Amino acid sequence: MEKNHYRWMLVPALLFLLLFIYIPVARGAVMAFQHYNLFDLSTLRFNGLDNFKAVITDKNISFAQILLNTVVWLFGSLIFQFVLGFGLALLLRKPFAGRGLYTAFVFYGWALSGFAIGLTWAWLFNGQAGLVNDLLIRIGILKQPIGFLSNPRLAMMSVIIPNIWYGVPFFGIMLLAALQSVPNELYEAAVLDGAGSVRKFVSVTVPYIKPTIVSTILLRTMWIVNFPDLIYAMTNGGPVNRTNILATQMINKVFKEYDYGQGSAIGVIIMVLLFVYAILYLKIVEDSKEELL
Amino acid sequence: MKNRITVLFVLVLVLLLLSPVFAAGTKEAAGPVNLTFVETITSPSRTAQIMELIAKYEARNPNVKINLVSPPYEQSDNKLTLMLNSNQELDIIEVRDHTVKQFVNNKKLVDLTPYLAAWDEGDDLLPLTIAAANTVDDTPYLLPQFFYVKGLFVRTDVLAKYGFTTMPKTTDELYAMSKAITGKDRNQYGFGFRGKGSSFKISDILILSDVPNISADNIYQTEDGRFAFSTPEARKAVAAYVDLYKHAVPSDGVNWGFSEQVNAFISGSTPFLVQDPDTVGMVADALDPELYTVIPMPIGASGKTYLDYGFAGLGIPTTSKHPDLAWDFISFMINAENNADFCKVYGPLPVHTSTYANDPFFSSGVYKSWETEMSDPDNYVFVKYPLDSPKYPGWAQVQEQTMQSLLLGNTTVDQAIKSWEDYWK
Repeated sequence: MEKNHYRWMLVPALLFLLLFIYIPVARGAVMAFQHYNLFDLSTLRFNGLDNFKAVITDKNISFAQILLNTVVWLFGSLIFQFVLGFGLALLLRKPFAGRGLYTAFVFYGWALSGFAIGLTWAWLFNGQAGLVNDLLIRIGILKQPIGFLSNPRLAMMSVIIPNIWYGVPFFGIMLLAALQSVPNELYEAAVLDGAGSVRKFVSVTVPYIKPTIVSTILLRTMWIVNFPDLIYAMTNGGPVNRTNILATQMINKVFKEYDYGQGSAIGVIIMVLLFVYAILYLKIVEDSKEELL
Repeated sequence: MKNRITVLFVLVLVLLLLSPVFAAGTKEAAGPVNLTFVETITSPSRTAQIMELIAKYEARNPNVKINLVSPPYEQSDNKLTLMLNSNQELDIIEVRDHTVKQFVNNKKLVDLTPYLAAWDEGDDLLPLTIAAANTVDDTPYLLPQFFYVKGLFVRTDVLAKYGFTTMPKTTDELYAMSKAITGKDRNQYGFGFRGKGSSFKISDILILSDVPNISADNIYQTEDGRFAFSTPEARKAVAAYVDLYKHAVPSDGVNWGFSEQVNAFISGSTPFLVQDPDTVGMVADALDPELYTVIPMPIGASGKTYLDYGFAGLGIPTTSKHPDLAWDFISFMINAENNADFCKVYGPLPVHTSTYANDPFFSSGVYKSWETEMSDPDNYVFVKYPLDSPKYPGWAQVQEQTMQSLLLGNTTVDQAIKSWEDYWK
């Protein structure tokens, strides 16, 4: 009898999740198989795989290009965010005067909206009056300003850079917290065993905080793939579709074309890809753990 | 004891969930009538001005209270669409040229014919206002509040610096002057290009004005039913437009949206800018009046310029329980006096004939150019985008990406035109 009370206590939370997460997700998945265009709701009907077909075979907006862009965007951002964020966490680990204030400054970027960051960086990278061009010309690296956001070869790099800047604090915060939980005794023991600083890092630090590393990388992957704000503000997916990722194309379908069907189809594609990615990723991580042991 | 706490908890939860139901039941009983008004072209200064007009209306009608809802601009159309589709009780909504068809398709707007017929200011509306009101199914589903029509903003000081004393009258002259001024080494360019964010609204007007027989109902069709870009005149004009980009625009122009465009004009690096009248305020804040002017759009090789009129106005949703009161408010917001005041601050063109006749503000200064465009039907022909086509909402992205590809030399003029023709097929 007593146990049942606790079960009842779960109901509000479950209702909340059902109402605000699972039902909308299911609704979105259903929509992906419907002709669902706000332009004319009287044409609402199930249309099988037509939305997926339309998205994948679009002649003007190449789906292969969008997939490739998404992969470049994900790994270009993730690798640098992680490496720099980890470095930042290591630097901030030892106390120094003004560390609190410094940390607050470093992490400030994480609190800004992606759209606002995009607008600011769009001006920094402006091909005519941008600060980046101006600096490079003054230093003597460039003679003529270059179009960071208008040159199809540079555009992807130019949207990834602000994304790295934006994501570094996240890894910094999470890994710093993990680092601070590593007991000092472990390091002392390692020193007694004759470990140098590299050895300490590889054999104590990394294994100890590995669960945090694994989960933050997975989280960040999902967020980067689902983060259209920066690109939307900086290039709108251009030039020539070179910065268009799945998430920006989904936004375009829904907000510009009112085509919830095709938008949801892209949403389902993102979901499936991330699902497969997460399984593979966790499998690889599991396997590597066995090797270590 | 625990049992009681659980019961109490569930009871409170149920009450909380039901509270909107009770509230809705009691709201109508006493006090003033509440009308909900959703604006969509939200901006802080414009919202402040609407609030002023609302205060004025409420002072005259103490039994009515207007609740203004101002969703952020980027999501406003979608937000309103969702509110309408979930049948929320709204009374006045801001309808735009690109949303009116969709709202009518989904049966969300009240036919305003009886109200307009009985309105004493109905005869004072411009022919353009009537045409815009009747955009869908030849039925007035909205009362337009203002127009956006393109004009050519010119930095007279920059032109003078390069020895030009006359203004470009034709597209050819505009292109030639833009190229003559351009000197990439001194960071001087001619034309304030638009490469992203509905870029077709500028490029397609300039290009298609070379085609002699564009249909008034659809800018992408000729009167004899051909796809407008497939005509030999348009082919040549597209090539000229690409040439303009290569020789009179910073290469970055491919990625220029509204703010980059206006910024380049204000800094003087591109002295020509094609824009709507609501840009006037922004330019006037940054530049002394003797440094710039606005002239009518240049005439194309066809001897005409095809202009589209962007508009927005107010409509009454079918969910409104007080359509008569809603109309009373709309007819107040858009009476000649309030409409003129509104447009003076906000920038776009008012909708009453009498305003242009009586108020020198709209027939002098920079507004002279728009008055000319609206009163010279031989040279300035108003045409429509295919707003009622389900393909129209997707056109902006397709045109943007294919045009960028053409400008950057990845595709040829013929390939670009072919992809546009295929899209509209």
